[in-house]
Amino acid sequence: MTQISDLLPLLIPIIVLELILVITALIHIFRHKTYRFGNRVLWVVLVLCFQLIGPVVYFIFGRGDD
Amino acid sequence: MSGFTAFFKKEIVEYLRSYKALILLCVFIIFGMMSPLLAKMMPDILSHQAINGITLNIPKPTFYDSFGQFFKNLSQMGMAVLLLIFGGVLSQDLSKGTLIMLLAKGLSRHAVILAKFAAALILWTASYAFAVMIQWGYTLYLFDKLPVPHLFFSLFCLWLFGIFILTILLMSSTLVGGAYSGLFLTTAALGALIVCQFIPGTDRFSPLALASDNAGLMTGAANLHHAVTAVWITVILIVSALAVSLVVFKKKSI
Repeated sequence: MTQISDLLPLLIPIIVLELILVITALIHIFRHKTYRFGNRVLWVVLVLCFQLIGPVVYFIFGRGDD
Repeated sequence: MSGFTAFFKKEIVEYLRSYKALILLCVFIIFGMMSPLLAKMMPDILSHQAINGITLNIPKPTFYDSFGQFFKNLSQMGMAVLLLIFGGVLSQDLSKGTLIMLLAKGLSRHAVILAKFAAALILWTASYAFAVMIQWGYTLYLFDKLPVPHLFFSLFCLWLFGIFILTILLMSSTLVGGAYSGLFLTTAALGALIVCQFIPGTDRFSPLALASDNAGLMTGAANLHHAVTAVWITVILIVSALAVSLVVFKKKSI
């Protein structure tokens, strides 16, 4: 029986990487006013609620042109 | 072939600036870290959901399970992310019209296709290599090492399947117009391959075998001979898809 706490040091890098993705996406969302579709609220909710997939979908489909 | 290096550099910079390189690297590194951990924690996760009266007897996870999980994640989610990232590989340049100026200035059309392919190939190989190395390290740390026959070959198969997706994307983008039609055509082609798998006897030739038999190859459940056939067929398909893209793009009016 492995305890989750034993594996915690190994889980931290994953959480950090996911946070990097989420934070980069959030910074991008708040710095830009226009998106290819959708509005700010939609993208913030999507990015925060869907781990991993949210930021990916935002950068591919939601990101407007700079 | 004039302008290959310049266009190649422009492609790499674009991947970096559009966050695509970051996403691909992060997602694949996360897969590399997550798979061994998931395999390790699976018995605990399942035992928490024990239905009363039924005891789930889950065997202790091993080295194989870790790589099984890795192949499962990468062949499904990994390929989906790959499709999304490279979905607009050529079609977006075409629909925005950014290529017209460059081509008018004397950039060769073959260089465009080859540079795009090279940039995508390098990005995919780098992310995959990172994922594999991290997966390897985590698995060695968490599990006892077991002799794994054909592990390298299994990993190679999935890598080749990724290249197959990239070339099909490139070819579909030259064949149809529109910002996302390349992506749709590739998804349709993959769907057709999945449907073809139901025809008995065809599955051993299908490139899909490269992404579905990886775990089986390690345990010996899948036939190595069939996998080698699939590898050669995929290599031929990759080369012909590239050739088709080069020829079609040469004649395409932009």
